[in-house]
Amino acid sequence: MSAEPSPAVRVAVREIGRHTLVRLLGYYVIAGGLLLLLSAVLPQNAAPTVAPSAPMPSTMGGMLDWFRGEVALFPNGAPRWVDALFQMIGAVVLVIPLAFTYVRTRTRVKFDHSLVQTVIMLPVVVTAILVVVRDSLALAFSLAGIVAAVRFRNNLKESGDAVYIFGAIGIGFASGIHALSVAAVLSIMFVVVELALWKFNFSADFERTFARLCLPSKADLAGVAEPADAPPEKPTAAAAAADGKSTRLRIYVDRVEAARPLIETVLARDAKRWSLDAEEPTTEHGAPVLAYRVRPRKSVGLEGLRSNLLREGAPHVVAADDAPEL
Amino acid sequence: MSATLPLATPMLDPPVAPRDHAAGPAGARVTLVEYADFECPSCGAAHEVIQAARRAFGDNLRLVFRHFPLRDSHPHALDAARAAEAAAEQGQFWPMHDRMFQRQHALEPEDLARYARKLDLDVVRWGRVKALPSTEERVLADLASGRRSGVRGTPTLFINGARYDGPIERGLLMGALARAALAPHDGHGREP
Repeated sequence: MSAEPSPAVRVAVREIGRHTLVRLLGYYVIAGGLLLLLSAVLPQNAAPTVAPSAPMPSTMGGMLDWFRGEVALFPNGAPRWVDALFQMIGAVVLVIPLAFTYVRTRTRVKFDHSLVQTVIMLPVVVTAILVVVRDSLALAFSLAGIVAAVRFRNNLKESGDAVYIFGAIGIGFASGIHALSVAAVLSIMFVVVELALWKFNFSADFERTFARLCLPSKADLAGVAEPADAPPEKPTAAAAAADGKSTRLRIYVDRVEAARPLIETVLARDAKRWSLDAEEPTTEHGAPVLAYRVRPRKSVGLEGLRSNLLREGAPHVVAADDAPEL
Repeated sequence: MSATLPLATPMLDPPVAPRDHAAGPAGARVTLVEYADFECPSCGAAHEVIQAARRAFGDNLRLVFRHFPLRDSHPHALDAARAAEAAAEQGQFWPMHDRMFQRQHALEPEDLARYARKLDLDVVRWGRVKALPSTEERVLADLASGRRSGVRGTPTLFINGARYDGPIERGLLMGALARAALAPHDGHGREP
């Protein structure tokens, strides 16, 4: 009999995608098996010597040694190039979930096609470098000199993308020093944490909570912005509002002092959370604007809130635009 | 010595009338007239901005659409305009208008017929009306009114009767519409 998962767990699984989790889990199981098999077939050092006629040992360690002795292609240790190839394959296998996570968690606007390829290739190169350098201090210094001479400058689309670069380097580094188990742990940890951060939109929804924790008690939280919107892909604002996330509403008014009490009366009633984000004075090209971050009540919705603002704010409110940027 | 005369803003000619395709209440605070071509990519981009303006202004905005098919550069534009007019005959102008702007890359006759079917139109009647000379005359009348109003390309917008010459960018257009909505006018750009 299987226990029914709690609603919170069901929601989390649904939003990340049941297929995503199952595929990742299956991938790690298959990849782990493949790497274990490869490590037995292509041992770095001489395989344990077990007499061919010896009976199968009964202990787990003994069984592994027996298995490695039976299947090893290079009983005296794999040649250097084969060993390097194995480490590189391991690096690629373990970095692919990172690339998959990147594709899954980035929106169309934030997505950087070249970064996916970079994340996959980077550990291969790092592994190769470490295989070449090995324990040679002289080679390490030479490498540092070469790297210093070449300018590697690139602007990432998102600051968070740097984490993927570091993750790929970490996996390459671990593979290069024959620590595939560490690379595997890094890969799994990275994917789990990154998916969790993405799923819970960590810090965006809890900015005010953190502010409450960090600021003195009774501090004014009006200046702490509500979570930022998702990128401007339509119908982002409506979807965000439907999801219970905040939306930036730019409200066009005739006179700020007359419109503001009317607007805020509606917001106090129809929004779960709201805060004044900016007050833009009249310009040559437009009317005064009051920009609010709002999270409409689910029972009202963004369209209901907008309609109430226009009706109850009349004649001072003429429009309420859910544009994500100023 | 020559004096520089201020150039008058071109005005809509003729003003909005019942024959126009209009969405929104007649008494709206601001009337936005759009001259557009269903095959023009800039009109497709403007369509999204105008849809956002419709949502933002609600009943404060009335949108009026007039055809301005650029037949030389857009071979499907006139046919698409006729298709919209034929849909209007069955009360489905705006759904057809939205569908064609969302699928500007597919405006062949069979595509238009598919859209008509999707909108549950009487397709036989729709096809007959689309082929009528009077339907094309209706489109060409809009084109002529655009030329009289100073339309040189698409999309061209008129806010409360006066041509809007700014960029059709969300923030700027919203600002211009809001300013027009707050100014006293009679809906055609004239002071009351």
